[in-house]
Amino acid sequence: MALTIGSSVESETGTGVLARSRERAALIPDLLIEAQRIANTVTNGWHGRRRRGTGDTFWQFRPYDQGESLSRVDWRRSARDDSVYVRDQEWEAAHTVWVWADSSPSMLYASETAQVSKQSRALVLALAMTEILAKSGERVGWPGVTNAKSSRVAAERIAAELMVANSEDHLAFPPLTQIRRRSELIVFSDFLEPLPETMARINNAAEQGIHGSLVHVIDPAEERFPYSGRTEFTDPESGNKLTFGRAETLADDYVSLFNARKSALAEQCKRLGWNYIIHHTDNLASTALVALHVRLSGEALS
Amino acid sequence: MSILGLTFASPLILLGLITLPVIWWLLRLTPPRPKQEVFPPTQILEEIGQREETPAQSPWWLTLLRLLMAALVIAALAEPIWNEQDRSISGSGPVLVVVDNGWASGPDWEDRITTAEEILSQAADAARPAALILTTEGAKADLNTVRAEQLVAKVKAARPLPLPIDYTALAERIESAPVQFGSLVWLSSGLAHPGAEELLNSLAAADIPQTLYYAPDTQGLQILTQVNNAPEALVTRVERPDAAGATAGIATAFDQKGRSISSAEFAFATDETAAEIRFALPVELRNEITRITINGGNQAGAVQLLDERFRRRRVGLVSGGKADQAQPLLSPLYYISRALNPFSEVREARDANVAQAIPQLIEENVSTMVLADIGTLPDATLEQLEKWVASGGMLMRFAGPRLASATDDTLVPVELRRGGRSLGGTLTWGTPQPLTSFETNSPFDGIAVPEDVEVTRQVLAEPDIDLIEKTWASLADGTPLVTAAQRGQGWIVLFHVTADASWSNLPLSGVFVDMLRRIVAVSNGAIAADKTRSTSAAAGPVTGSQSEAETVSLPPLSMIDGFGSLTAPDSSVRPLQIGPQTEIAISAENPPGTYGTSDAFVAVNLFSEPANLALIDNANLPPNSQRGSYQAQSDFELKPWLLAAALLLLALDCLAVLWMAGALRRMPQMAASLLAIGLITAMPTERATAQESAALTDFEDSLRTRLAYVITGDAQLDRLSKKGLTGLTNFISSRTSLEPGEPVGVDISQDELAFYPLLYWPVTTMGSVPDEETMARVDAFMKSGGSVLFDTRDQLQGGFGSRRVSAETMRLREILLSLDIPPLEPVPDNHVLTRAFYLLNVFPGRYVDGKLWVETSESEEEETADRPTRQGDGVSSILITSNDLAGAWAIEADGSPSLPVVPPNPVQRTYAYRTGVNIVMYTLTGNYKSDQVHIPALLERLGQ
Repeated sequence: MALTIGSSVESETGTGVLARSRERAALIPDLLIEAQRIANTVTNGWHGRRRRGTGDTFWQFRPYDQGESLSRVDWRRSARDDSVYVRDQEWEAAHTVWVWADSSPSMLYASETAQVSKQSRALVLALAMTEILAKSGERVGWPGVTNAKSSRVAAERIAAELMVANSEDHLAFPPLTQIRRRSELIVFSDFLEPLPETMARINNAAEQGIHGSLVHVIDPAEERFPYSGRTEFTDPESGNKLTFGRAETLADDYVSLFNARKSALAEQCKRLGWNYIIHHTDNLASTALVALHVRLSGEALS
Repeated sequence: MSILGLTFASPLILLGLITLPVIWWLLRLTPPRPKQEVFPPTQILEEIGQREETPAQSPWWLTLLRLLMAALVIAALAEPIWNEQDRSISGSGPVLVVVDNGWASGPDWEDRITTAEEILSQAADAARPAALILTTEGAKADLNTVRAEQLVAKVKAARPLPLPIDYTALAERIESAPVQFGSLVWLSSGLAHPGAEELLNSLAAADIPQTLYYAPDTQGLQILTQVNNAPEALVTRVERPDAAGATAGIATAFDQKGRSISSAEFAFATDETAAEIRFALPVELRNEITRITINGGNQAGAVQLLDERFRRRRVGLVSGGKADQAQPLLSPLYYISRALNPFSEVREARDANVAQAIPQLIEENVSTMVLADIGTLPDATLEQLEKWVASGGMLMRFAGPRLASATDDTLVPVELRRGGRSLGGTLTWGTPQPLTSFETNSPFDGIAVPEDVEVTRQVLAEPDIDLIEKTWASLADGTPLVTAAQRGQGWIVLFHVTADASWSNLPLSGVFVDMLRRIVAVSNGAIAADKTRSTSAAAGPVTGSQSEAETVSLPPLSMIDGFGSLTAPDSSVRPLQIGPQTEIAISAENPPGTYGTSDAFVAVNLFSEPANLALIDNANLPPNSQRGSYQAQSDFELKPWLLAAALLLLALDCLAVLWMAGALRRMPQMAASLLAIGLITAMPTERATAQESAALTDFEDSLRTRLAYVITGDAQLDRLSKKGLTGLTNFISSRTSLEPGEPVGVDISQDELAFYPLLYWPVTTMGSVPDEETMARVDAFMKSGGSVLFDTRDQLQGGFGSRRVSAETMRLREILLSLDIPPLEPVPDNHVLTRAFYLLNVFPGRYVDGKLWVETSESEEEETADRPTRQGDGVSSILITSNDLAGAWAIEADGSPSLPVVPPNPVQRTYAYRTGVNIVMYTLTGNYKSDQVHIPALLERLGQ
């Protein structure tokens, strides 16, 4: 089927994906999760938040404000001159982040313009994200596969578990049973399920207090619809076949429908305060990582 | 492989037709397989729904169209050839094969021979005896029948011959044929050669059961018939037998060494059978031409060989008389140059001084020098001239008063008596002598002796022992009219009369032209290979003992073969016998070609007169005859047509596919645009009408003299101009014999100005200065003899020529800026304008003070007291006044003046009109009046 534009590919194995995700992760600076989201207390992490808070590490001296507890005054520093100083510690906190990549058959698709299949790209992104988060000391888990643990080797762990747990049940959305409030959920998927279902799941997760980021992995062929002539389209998930005499006449309608889906998702995410990132498989994986990094570290917000 | 006249060159390819069902199956049974595409968002496509599903099967007619297309391509690749001709002989009895192998058979000779061979082999297969006639054999044709196989060799050996064909003898032979033939096959060249009618009659009379008549395609047959070395170009007549044949071609001229000199194109007008080819080359180059060939002619008729007769010789003319250009008919050289011009290049002496003129002419390599009535020459010139004659020059002298009175003239062929003889005058008893004979050993031999040539005066030769031999033409009383003698390699020829008509009317007669032509042909030591006469110059000098004209035998030099190429003569060619009064007959012994030596040869051409070729009319053939043409032309290749049809079907297929795709919905717009194009092309008819009306006005203008004024764009001023010129026209009509037509306003940027002698141009500050193109037209008008009268009408503000410059004068300067204006002056007292009709010393209009400015007369030194009027040719092309002439001339419909004059003096208006009359007369008659002033002196001189 060399003549076709897109094709189904074999599912990527964990090790190969892991190696590539490491490469990607090495490019990304340490990820600092924006602290605002994790609110009050979670488990203290060893990594500073680069701001004032509870922790062991000295952060700064600052002038004493009226009404502050006197116990916080650092007298030694205050004795040096006439002012009274307070000693601040750096705020050290860890965050639980759940990473999940869609493994449904529709992800096993790569067109000729794309470099890799959607599944491959989603796994790479997910593991790279895991690596980054793990390096920053976050607790990273994969819903349905592993618990969230803080470990420098979280990526390897998840990859190994994925190899074992590469089961037949193709979930369209991560199971939310393990995920607690205030956790971060990152979903890598093509979101090709019927749109109302997807919306319902997102809403459900948001109601549980989960803050999410959706990374919409799109193959360029899916977005541009470069087909023409007499074409039989096969749905890899349901196996449905559709034949069109002149596929090029569908292009306009299809593209507008597809864009409508994207904008509906984006709208929903914006309403819930979630992140929504579109990633095309013909782009570099690092572009998506950078975008995700920016959103999670809150740089775009602050 | 041949089916019903359809022959396939590659029949095996037809097996490809077997694949048609396969193609049909491919096209019809299996629709194009869809491309299999895995597409994850197929669900979205489902939302769009099923629509525009291409039918799995294309419509039956499209399949049929494509099948037909495939079949056509396969059939075309098999190279079918349609040949409906039945070239088989039928019946029984001997077969007579007549093959034309005359001059016109070159182009299709191969096909003709192939056909003949085929016929003969058919006859051999049918065991029928045959006879073969080549038409050039004529009366020698062998009509005895032999076995057909034996004739194949004869056919193969036959060559086309460059000979004319006469069917008459052949017709007689066929009538007296020893056997009754069963079939006649005539492989003709399609041309009605002489005797064709007789041949057809005899064929009809012979009553041969089957007649096969083959004729080639004569469309491309073109022949060269007549060469004329005209003054400007070498003109060759080209003819074609078929008025519907090829209309154009290219002819090439070659020199003696076979190098191409020039090529010229020619074109036949529709339905014309003759055209001209012009080689417009310098004379020297033209004289190099020895052969002209139609490119691709491929037959003997397409070649003309040129010899000395076609050379243009350079003739120098020197006259002793005063050359008066005003009266050319009295010039002694007039008749000579008129007589020589058609066939030679005439150089007249540029210098009136004989001592200068003759060396100049010798320098210019003239081959003949004409001295008309030149008596004595300076010694140095004489020496030069003698040397030139000795080295081969032809000196032609004419008598006259100077020659008659000269003494010790050495450059004459015979000794002359001093003084001329006058015949038929009041003091003589003799009558004018007619020309009676041309001597047989002279170049004039063969010219018909005219009866109307009379000689009234001549110079006489001293009786001498060899006077008779030196005489070329003599009068009735035996006195010589033309004598000649050889000096070295050249000749001196003396006409004992003048070159003009004062002594005889010989120069007026047509014979004079022939005589000069013969003499010029003798020059340069060449043989005069005229049809009727060969001078002995080729064989040797004329001597006294050769008084009896001898037949000269010229060896063949080169031949034209049946394909029109120049070849060396073969052994069958005999020397050409040229004698006096002998026609050169073209025969197998003397085919067309050149005879003589490479220095001096005679060209024998197939056609030297217009040939007026005709085609054999098919209607005249025997009624039972079948017509055919040779193989190459008769085959009709179907391959290109089949391929074209396939392409057409492909285009249809594309259209059909487009239509099914709905791409032709925009057709209505295309139809609209086509309609618009059609409308635009229909537009020019109205413009044509406008042109016609303009032409009509021009026609009227050219018939009647009219006064014209320039339309300035100022409506009031233009009305005034019209009124003024009307007044002047009335005045001129009542006072002079000139009755001009109604005045007309002209738009100088558009109208043709050439019809008006005088253009009245009132200068106004309104409007813009005419552009350069318009002024160029005015300039051309003035240079070709028209006059423009500018009127600045500003005398009250100072007027033209004064220190003060008014707006109108400024405008006039702007107008004149782009014109080529000569120096101007106010009309002097003795100018023609002052007396062209009325005697005037002022030129008033509405104002009186302004001066009339004209071109300065060129000859200032003639402005002397004893000449009352300036000479000076021509009319001033520009006249400038500031007096508002039209204002004074202008009248209303009732004849009353439109405007008052300043000052209000009625006499001034009269003078204004007189000024107008003088100006108009001046422009019409020029300096004619300036002569009139001499009348008193002339009358006084006459004593009356």
